[in-house]
Amino acid sequence: MIRNLSYSLSVFLAVCLLCGPARAADSDYQQAIKAMGSKDYANALHYFESAITDDPDNLRYSSEYRQAAIKSKDFDRSLNFFEKLAATKPQSANVHLNFGFAYVDKIPVAGSITQVILANKALTEFTKAVELESAWINFYTRGMSYLFWPKVFNRAPMGVADLEKALKIQAAGPKKSYYVKTYLALGDGYWKTDQLEKARSIWREGLKQFPDNQQLKERLDRQGDDLQKLIETNFDPNKRVDTDLRELWTSSQN
Amino acid sequence: MRRLPHNPALALLLAALMSVWCAPAGHAGSAQDQPSQRWFEDVTHKAGVAARHHTRRFDNPYAEIMQGYTRLGAAVAVADFDGDGFEDVFVTDSCSTCKNHLYRNNGNFTFTDVAEKAGVANGNDEANASAGALWFDYNNDGLPDLFVVRFGHSILYQNLGNGKFRDVTKEAGLDRYMNAIKAIAFDYDNDGYVDLFIGCYFQPINIFHPGTPRFFPESFENANNGGGVVVFHNNRNGTFTEVTDRVGIHTTGWTLDLGHGDANNDGWEDLYVANDFGTDRFYVNNGNGTFSDKTETAIGFDTKKGMNADWGDFDNDGLLDIYVTNITDDYMREGNFLWHNNGNLTFTDISRETGTDDTGWGWAGKFFDYDNDGWLDLYVMNGWVSAGKESYVPDIFAMVTKPDIDFADARNWPPIGDKSLSGYQKKRLFHNEGGHIFKDEAARHGLDSTRDGRGIAVADFDNDGRLDLFVTNADDEPFLYRNILPTGAHWMGFLLEGTKSNRAAVGAQVRLTANGQTWLRYVNGGNGFASQSTTRVHFGLGKNTKITSIEIRWPSGLKQMLPALPVDHWYKIVEGQATTNIQPWEAKR
Repeated sequence: MIRNLSYSLSVFLAVCLLCGPARAADSDYQQAIKAMGSKDYANALHYFESAITDDPDNLRYSSEYRQAAIKSKDFDRSLNFFEKLAATKPQSANVHLNFGFAYVDKIPVAGSITQVILANKALTEFTKAVELESAWINFYTRGMSYLFWPKVFNRAPMGVADLEKALKIQAAGPKKSYYVKTYLALGDGYWKTDQLEKARSIWREGLKQFPDNQQLKERLDRQGDDLQKLIETNFDPNKRVDTDLRELWTSSQN
Repeated sequence: MRRLPHNPALALLLAALMSVWCAPAGHAGSAQDQPSQRWFEDVTHKAGVAARHHTRRFDNPYAEIMQGYTRLGAAVAVADFDGDGFEDVFVTDSCSTCKNHLYRNNGNFTFTDVAEKAGVANGNDEANASAGALWFDYNNDGLPDLFVVRFGHSILYQNLGNGKFRDVTKEAGLDRYMNAIKAIAFDYDNDGYVDLFIGCYFQPINIFHPGTPRFFPESFENANNGGGVVVFHNNRNGTFTEVTDRVGIHTTGWTLDLGHGDANNDGWEDLYVANDFGTDRFYVNNGNGTFSDKTETAIGFDTKKGMNADWGDFDNDGLLDIYVTNITDDYMREGNFLWHNNGNLTFTDISRETGTDDTGWGWAGKFFDYDNDGWLDLYVMNGWVSAGKESYVPDIFAMVTKPDIDFADARNWPPIGDKSLSGYQKKRLFHNEGGHIFKDEAARHGLDSTRDGRGIAVADFDNDGRLDLFVTNADDEPFLYRNILPTGAHWMGFLLEGTKSNRAAVGAQVRLTANGQTWLRYVNGGNGFASQSTTRVHFGLGKNTKITSIEIRWPSGLKQMLPALPVDHWYKIVEGQATTNIQPWEAKR
């Protein structure tokens, strides 16, 4: 079961990459890339939307579309687009995932209460993605999302549970460079749930897998207030979370 | 989820190193000199000023949520009302039967409550709740008059000079229903009389018996259905005329504090408006009796919960900076603003870089030099409700995440009951480490109370050159902290009296130079949430014993140079009077 789950994302990506998107979508995507090159964001967004509409499951199109929306600060356009897309493609995990990310993308420019509202809506979409497809990216994303919530909401244990699932999925398949993120996040989750030893243990385990990772080393080198500061800095809602998914298709085995 | 590169630790380290390398001569008597000692003594009970504040119990359908808002009303204002040379204290209470307090300074660090005798005790009744206080000499007779700021009808008391006050609100033209929370007075048109600026929280509706449930903020971030600012011009005959529109102050935010200062040193006082639930405002004085709203270019449009606006030149660059508190907690990471004045009517927030961004749910934050080292330090109040163990945060978040919720409807706000919200927060005393970073020294000096602090009045209650603190707490006793700084760091202070300028000299700037360093301090007319500090001008001088020059820039435009006076004294200076043979000032008693 777990093994099946673990391969779901990579199989999907492989299919995407090997077969390629529909021709019309690809043409629009190329136009979008061209427009991005000349910083013509309005046209870029338009062509990305056409490409995604033709190929809604394509993570690459959606990810690059959102990055264009961030660059042009057109967060509401991105949100409106994915809202409509999710209504027409309710069974697409990737659409819900990107819809959730579109909310996350807007958080740093929002006021403190709107941040909560956006984070809550993002979580709803991430949950739909998890329910539709038990993929590493979906568990990892929702797990991370839980960790951003203030302690009073007691959502960190749910984050830990999701990240443990993501770890199992990745353990069952070929190693990817981005899998180091799970070790970092799960350790942070353990730390947030007052399980310091488990946190250090998972960071150490991660370091065995990824011996050059500075973030893991930094966590293991720090203690007490220093460690707290490091981790809390990572969960500051006023800082932009990198939601660019390109590592999923550019990553090499490590 | 890779993060963007960020290394605040490096920035702070660099700043710390710079502060060590760049410390000017005279940076003496700092906190590092005697690290184990406490420099403040809690003398609240010994001094006889321990009467506690009480919130109002409302008798309307929104009583549970409304009670919290009179937690805003624990205010303090300082002035020498009887002219004996010792600063006195007015403290507000908020319950319907509670009395306000006028603590007369006995000159020996004890106080006597003379509010009843003076006729200023009755600030509360069923239709009005005291929320703030301001001393200002509205009739230029040299006696500070008292404005009691209220949810309801505020009161102007004329100081009769015989220890008694008279209610002159109606004859002064100030009888108006406003849910006022803050007042400051400064002479915006430099006509020689201070004008009155009133910050209002709720709209001017009867909050004790509202006719509609829709009187709460319409948004948590962009609410424009508050009371805003009301401006009264002083007609120089004991009356005032409302000129809000005429002077160009257009804001309907949920105003909690007002602060004035001359941002560009052009001789005209500018205005910062701290608004809860939305955008703070910055108004530039045009020098012709009007202001221009320069919010966008000066500070940008924020969505935070502005609580405080105090001005001071914390980095001694000759330009006044501004400190604004917001809400910073586990569940809301707004961060405060320390607006560094760029000198061109723009400001840059450097609160993170200086370590002054996180003070919890902030209230008053005041600049003052507690160790007389020549750098303005900061003391900051915080905490909303310290009650039971359960948190109110999930209730609020459950409300805000409801689809299509109408925040303006008070019925949608969950009752807080015995829950806490940003409670039991430790106060912060930020020691200014050479104008670059601040270090919290509150615990060391016993100033880290966890009561729900509100206002801070800074004054030298015993005229010894060391600045003391009067702190108010919501629903609790206040604190009077006596400064017992043992370092022997030098100081100098001025009591200014205007002649052509307004008599209280509000807006006057003093530039003192010693050993190549120039300090700027000024007379402010009541800046800071729920509080008014002394109008005397105080300089910490560190090891400096020789003054090079003293320049006073009066609101009238007159620049007056003083000779190099001996340090460690207060001096009284009258605008335009001869500056030869100036003797140290001493209290009458």
